[in-house]
Amino acid sequence: MKAFQDQLKKLEGADTQVLGVSMDSPFANKAWAAQIGVTFPLLSDMGGDTSKEYGVYNSTYKAARRVTYLIDKEGKVVEMQKDRDAIDPSSVVTSCERRKMKS
Amino acid sequence: MRKSILSVLVTALLLVSASTAYAADQNSTPEPKIKVGDAAPDFSLRDQTGKEVKLSDFRGKKNVVLAFYVFAFTGG
Repeated sequence: MKAFQDQLKKLEGADTQVLGVSMDSPFANKAWAAQIGVTFPLLSDMGGDTSKEYGVYNSTYKAARRVTYLIDKEGKVVEMQKDRDAIDPSSVVTSCERRKMKS
Repeated sequence: MRKSILSVLVTALLLVSASTAYAADQNSTPEPKIKVGDAAPDFSLRDQTGKEVKLSDFRGKKNVVLAFYVFAFTGG
């Protein structure tokens, strides 16, 4: 999530809201956000309903899988990155900036 | 000569079994249900300050990067 925080200005400048989601409690997320300096919302999907609905629930770890979605203003998924690819936000940043220029 | 042929064969066999194991591991993680082109299902979840955040809050206003992560206090 730190990598997204580092790119937050660019993403916000391109009309993009960053939301992190995991199955951690709000308390764990609060402590972690403070520790790594994350200012965007870290959402608590306790029980995993949302993770399961998106199909990113990992039954081995009983946790969400590392997947990043880019959702447009109409609520449609326009990009998806999984696992290792999902950690680096640079391609998401590029597409958001491109979308901003087009609009 | 024969020894070198044997070692090539053994190496090839090892490679094949390793790649099969790798493929099996990949298959154990199913593809996400929601894919590019799908409508993103709405949700209402609590953030680290206790506030409810809905995906639909941003509809018509902003793109949303929705980043699922495995556990707090880990990398990525």
